[in-house]
Parts: sequence; C-alpha cells; structure tokens
Amino acid sequence: MVKETKIITKNWSQIDPNEIDDAIEAGGYRALEKFIHKMTPALALEEIKLSGLCGRGGAGFPTGIKLESVQKEKGKEKYFICNLDESEPGAYKDRSIVDSDPHMLLEGIIIESLIVGARKAFIYVNGNYQKQIEILQRAVEQARAKNFIGEQILGSKYNLEVEIFAGAGAYICGEETALINSIEGNRGEPKARPPFPTQCGLFGKPTAVNNAETVANIPWIISNGGKKFATIGSKKSAGTKLFIVNGCVKNPGVFEAPLGTKLADLIEKYAGGMQNGKNFWFAQVGGSSGRLVLENDLVRKLEYDREAKIPLGSGAILVVDKTADIHELLLSWMSFFRRESCGKCVPCREGTYRLWEIAKRLQDGEISERDVAAIKDILWTLNNTTFCPLGKFAATAFGDALSNFQKEIYRLSK
Amino acid sequence: MKIKINTKEYEAKDGETIFVACMKNGIKVPTLCGTKNSHEGVCRICVVENNGRLITSCNTKVCEGMKIVTESENVAKARKINLELLWADHAGKCSSCKKNQRCELQNLAIEQKIENFHFVPRKEEMTDRENLDLLKDNRSRVVVDEGNACLTRTTELCVECRRCINVCPTKELSFNNRAGDTVVGTAFEKPLDCIFCGQCVKNCPTGAITDKNDLSKIMTDLNDLKKMAVALVDPAVLESVAFEHPEISCLPAGRDSRGKLISVLKELGFEKVFDLGFGMELSLEKMTQVVKTSAKNNLMLSHCSSFNLFIKKYHPQFAKNILAVAHPDELMAEFLKTEFAKKEKINPEDLVVVSLSSCIAKKKEKGQNLDYVITVRELGRMIRQKNLKLQDIKESDFSSGLAVKDEKIKSVTRTGGMAEMLAKKLKVKYVVADGVPQIKNILRDLEKGRIETKIIEAMVCEEGCINGGGQSRKI
Repeated sequence: MVKETKIITKNWSQIDPNEIDDAIEAGGYRALEKFIHKMTPALALEEIKLSGLCGRGGAGFPTGIKLESVQKEKGKEKYFICNLDESEPGAYKDRSIVDSDPHMLLEGIIIESLIVGARKAFIYVNGNYQKQIEILQRAVEQARAKNFIGEQILGSKYNLEVEIFAGAGAYICGEETALINSIEGNRGEPKARPPFPTQCGLFGKPTAVNNAETVANIPWIISNGGKKFATIGSKKSAGTKLFIVNGCVKNPGVFEAPLGTKLADLIEKYAGGMQNGKNFWFAQVGGSSGRLVLENDLVRKLEYDREAKIPLGSGAILVVDKTADIHELLLSWMSFFRRESCGKCVPCREGTYRLWEIAKRLQDGEISERDVAAIKDILWTLNNTTFCPLGKFAATAFGDALSNFQKEIYRLSK
Repeated sequence: MKIKINTKEYEAKDGETIFVACMKNGIKVPTLCGTKNSHEGVCRICVVENNGRLITSCNTKVCEGMKIVTESENVAKARKINLELLWADHAGKCSSCKKNQRCELQNLAIEQKIENFHFVPRKEEMTDRENLDLLKDNRSRVVVDEGNACLTRTTELCVECRRCINVCPTKELSFNNRAGDTVVGTAFEKPLDCIFCGQCVKNCPTGAITDKNDLSKIMTDLNDLKKMAVALVDPAVLESVAFEHPEISCLPAGRDSRGKLISVLKELGFEKVFDLGFGMELSLEKMTQVVKTSAKNNLMLSHCSSFNLFIKKYHPQFAKNILAVAHPDELMAEFLKTEFAKKEKINPEDLVVVSLSSCIAKKKEKGQNLDYVITVRELGRMIRQKNLKLQDIKESDFSSGLAVKDEKIKSVTRTGGMAEMLAKKLKVKYVVADGVPQIKNILRDLEKGRIETKIIEAMVCEEGCINGGGQSRKI
C-alpha cells in the first residue's frame, strides 16, 4: 500500500455514522465553530479560492468562483444544493460518504450555505438511495438538536434549514439545471443557459449547486486553510479525489488518492492489481460516459484539466480484461443512455434509441451496411447538436470503442 | 450591434435571438419546435454555424462579433440527420394522414431532400385496456385519444416538439415517460377533457393533434338531394382562409376572400351561404334583453365557448354568472330551422346547418340546431378531397334573406367587441379579459370582491377569434 493522504475518508470505518457524538469526537463540526466564531463569509470564501478546489461531479468547475458569484448576488433569498444524485453506473463515492461520515457532508453543506448567504439548503438524493436518505435524515435531526442547523446557529446571527429532497432516480437530474427543475416539481430536464443557476436558479433565485464530494472537502479546508489544501495533489488540480475502481482488479472499491495519481498506480497500488490470470485490455475512466484508456495511456495522470486527454469525470474506473465481450459492453452502455436520456432534444432521444437498437444487432451479428453508416451519423449528431452534455457522453465510449476495436466490433477477420 | 450573417453585415438588437435576427432580414432558417412565444431548442433543426461551432439559432441570443453561417455542409448534415431521426419516430403514413400536404415535417423533409432513410419507424399500436400498462411498461406505445367532441390525438404521428405543451393555456398536456419512450399525454393518460381552445391543434406541425370531424357525414349530407345544406361563414375566418389558400384571396393579397370563399362553399355543395353576422346580431339582441332585465352584477358574456368550458371546469362557483344565451352560430341555426324554414317552406329536418368557424370548442358546445362545425383546416381538406381548382373560381355574394343590418357587429369577433356594444346600448360598465392569464386575474379579483361591474367579457384565445384554434397557423 501507499502512504495515504486522507481528507474525506479520514473518519471512515472509525465512527458510527448514526451517532453525531462520534463525529464530534473525531473532530466534526470544529470547522463550523471556527467559521462562525472566527471567520466571515468573505474570509472563508478566500480560503476556498486559495485551495483551488474544483467540482468533483465531473465538470471540474472551480468551486470558489461558483460560490463567489452566488455570494455577490443581491437579494435575500438564495439557495444551496448538495448534489447527491450519483447515478453513473459503477459510481458510489457520494453514497459511500453518506454511509461512512454523513456529518462531514452536513458540516460542509452548512458552511457553504452560510458563505453564499442561503437560508435554505437542499440535499438532492437519488430516490433509490433509501438507506442513505435515512442516514441523512437522522444526521440532520441530530445536528438540529445540537443547534448546528436551525435558528441562530451556535448563538450567531445565522439561520439555516436543511431539507432532504429525494428525486425519482434519474441520471439527468445530476445536471444542475435538471436537478433544479426536479426540485421545482417539473420534469427533470436541462434548461438553456444563460441564465446560469448562480444568477437565476432554484425558484428563480441565485443557487449554488455542489457535488457531495466537493462539499465534503470544505470542513478540512476551513480547518487547515486553503494554502495547505493546495499543496496536496498535482499542479493543475489540488486535493484528493475519491476513485472507484471496478472490474477485474483484486480489490475493487473506493479509494482516496491525491489528484494527479497515475492510472497505473491506481490499479496496481490501490486496487491490488489485476485479478490472477487476467490480462488488462482497457479501462474506462469516468463511468459510462467516460473515455476508454488503452495500455499505452496508463501512465497518464488523472486530474481535472480542460486539455486532458482523459477527462476524469466522476472518478469511476472500470477495468476490463481481454476475455470481456465488447458487444455486451456496448449494449450495456447504450441501454443505460437509452433509458436515461430525458427525451427533450431530438438527437439524444432518438439517437440513443437507435444506437441501442444497433448495439442489439451488433451483439447478434446481424449488422447491415445501413447500420454502419447510421452509427457514424448518429455519433456525429450526438457530439455536435445535443442540448446538454448527456448526448456527448452517450457518444464518447461508443465512439472510442469503435475507433479502437473496429475489428472486434464488426467481427472482421483482418 | 452588428452581426455578420452569411456574407453580409446586419444590425441586430440586444437580447434578440439569432433566429429572430435572421427572420427579420429575410433569411430563412427552418424550425419545427418553435412557436410565437416559446423557443425551447428541442428539435435541433434550426442549427446554424457560429465561428465553426454548431448552435441552435432559436434560443441563442446575438452577441457582438458573431459570424453566423446559415447554410453550410455541417449545418445541412445536422439538419438532415436530426430530421431523419425524427422521421423514423414518426409513422410516416402520409397518404392517409389528415395533415397531408399541410404537414410541416413533410415539408421540411422535402425541403431538406431526405430521400433514403437509415431507420425503420418504431411505434406500436396500443389499445385502451392497456392504459395502465403504459405507465408500468417502458416500451413505446401509441396512445389514441378520441374521447371528446373536438379533437383527436394520436402519439403515433407525434414528433415530441412540445408546441402543444407550450401553447396550452391550461397545461392539460405534458410529457409522459422518458427517453425514447417520451410521449405527449395527459395525466395518467386519461381522455383529454380541457377547454378545447384548439391552440394545440393549430400549432401541431404534424397530424398528431387534428380536428375531430364528421367530414364523411357532411359529404353524405351535401350529396343528399333531399337535404338542403346551409353554410354559415364566421367573419373571423376570412383572413385565415386566404392564408391557407392564397388562390382564393382577392388582390391585394389577403384583404378579403369573402367573394371567392362563398363560391367555393357553393361549389362544395352548400345551397345557401349566410353571413354569421346575422347570428351575432341575434346574440347581441338577446344579451341586451337579459342584461337589461337582470338585477345581478358581474354578468359574464357567453359567446366564447371555450370560456364557458373554462368556467364550468375550473371555476364552477361562477357558473351562475354566465348569461344563458347560446353562441351566435346556434342562435342562427335555430332561426334558420324555425322562421326561415317556415318562410321558405322547408322541412326543418331536411335543413343541414354547417358553421365554418374559427373555433373548435363550438364542436362540443354546438347545441341541438347546429348540425356541424368545421374549421378552416377542415374546409381545406374538403377542397383537397374534391380536387377543386381554386384558380378559376369567380366571386359571388351571400345568399339573400338574412342580411346583416350593421357591419359593425363583426367587431364581436375581437375581444371586448361584444361588451363594448352592449355597454354603449345599455350605458353600463364592463370589464374585458383577453386570454387565460387575464381571465385568471379577473376571476381572482372577483373572488376577493375587488371588481364590481355589470358585464364581463372574456375570450380564451388572445385578441379573440382572429387567433382562434380553428384557424390556419401563421408563422
């Protein structure tokens, strides 16, 4: 094993997630106390900006800038939303945070809400996560009893209510405008931007939406300072990241590693290497919407970087060995996107359906000339004309597979 | 600000979309999902190129220094693929479709030269009993809704453009299911029971929502030698008819199509064609009487059928405020079947009264004397079915007997017209509500007692019958 830097996982499996006293004993809510008694929102924001923390949901937008633009907005009514929709196949990092240390998450939510000036915070949980909803409910009640939530928090002038909102379990609701639509009671579909949620979000008010993992970093930054956080990780992106390694590895699971860790190290050192007798074929980084990484790219660093060849996405990594059936994989990706497209725009709604149809035919080996042309056209239109990034995601893995394994996919002899 | 479109520079206003800027300068950009008031960017057909990137023109605002290209290889490719995908979702039963030759999807396919298709249509038939399964089952099915007198809905032809959802003033329609299974529908797929303003029918680009009609019955009656068919022409349809059939408008274009329209109706087999203005005068007379004798205040005029339905369905507490006067078409039909029939010595049962109307709600509220209500679109279908050559049509005049005394009566087709005339006659105060949002405001005020007036006139379609649900869609 490697020497670990622990920020989010430091209390995991050490405390009982259902007991707030355990969490407090382990250092929980110190950051909140520090924030309330010794800091101003502007100062705390400065720390977050210094830290270089960026969104862990996939896009990697700098958190400080997002919070700042909400803080700047005038008007009393603002909202903070913690995005716990996590529906990417093979991703369970946000869920794990709730399972192991819900109070760290809650503390982060409270601090961020107070920084932006929100009096109401929502935790948007995927409706399928019944267990996590119960844990969070308990955590919120306990925190309220200790006056971490509610009126005049810890004797200060701050007020905050936290509500847990269970969505109906849709992948697209992880996209922030769709998530806002969902809370408002509309269909979970993305809205056109601008206006951005930071100016006109939930119920038309300025809203900050942060991924759960991002939020969980906040208490550490407030306690230890942004400068120290910036020293962890790589030059381009600071901090640690929860990586989920699945597939043919000896020891699959969630690992906290500094950003900039090489993919090879993650597989070898953290996940224990390939299972006995299995040969590495490729890895998919970033869940179903991620790109495929072949052996020669294993040395690449995993970090949030706009120009990176491998976008990190949510941090879910699927390791595939040479015995895997590529047709089955294609079909499973496309079944996912066919089901999870919201149905708003034409290319995504119809295109994912058609790709799914073709993937079925590919599996049966009944592909025609017409299909080969159709695949090209659909991938192109998904990449160029969809309303939101989901369409692009749907085309990523399929397109990568097609360019790398054309021979296997079309069952060509040579 | 200045933006470049294709090769020339144009002046564009801050805050307007690329689509509007193009339209204003006479540059055509095709679209399928846009309506007058909403541009959602759903169909992805209005894509244009800006500095090499594809963007939708309908919901992207203009910026300084934009270089828009409306026709390029990529733009054409995107439009073509998206249209093809849409077409595959559409049943494509053009020859038997009510909207044949008037279908925007069909026209676009012709315009974009879609010739060979990659995909097979995929919708399956669904019967009523399986309604509940629809919610459980994720397969895409066809919902056919014919449980009302005014319109027919079939998702088989639907391309999920959302126009109907966006224009619906009472939000009866929305999406069910998601992804490829998305269909437009009512809550729990219950039969549609709304105010039937018909805006969805008017705006539907395909044949997914169409007028429910008895065209075959009307045709039989028209061909029946024993029966005498009478057509009533609503003055509100004249402009719309000219728009739907440019051939029958007199020059200068679109000014008035009355003369030729009458000939067309006669050609179709109507023996007499009357002006509905006569019925409007009857209606005004009756209303004057009722209002004069009523001691009550806040009386609601009843000539907008959709408004009557709106009150019955959503605000039944005000049902007693509505005047018990039938709409002009019904009053005129009643007159025809009693006094006119007696005078002309016709058996009332042999008289078939058909109203050419701008409204589809009248189909539901038609009463016992009026036999059929047809819209401008249905007239078009009759013309196409009969293969009438409109170019050679001469002008003629309304049949004699039921002349309109004062042409001013025709202002009742506009919101507020009827109330204005009544108020002038009776010297009373009145309030006018134009469109559902205003109606809602007024009803709220009424409930709180903030309004006290003699008469209230409300029309569901904005600006009145000129924008009625039975009219042709103007772009």
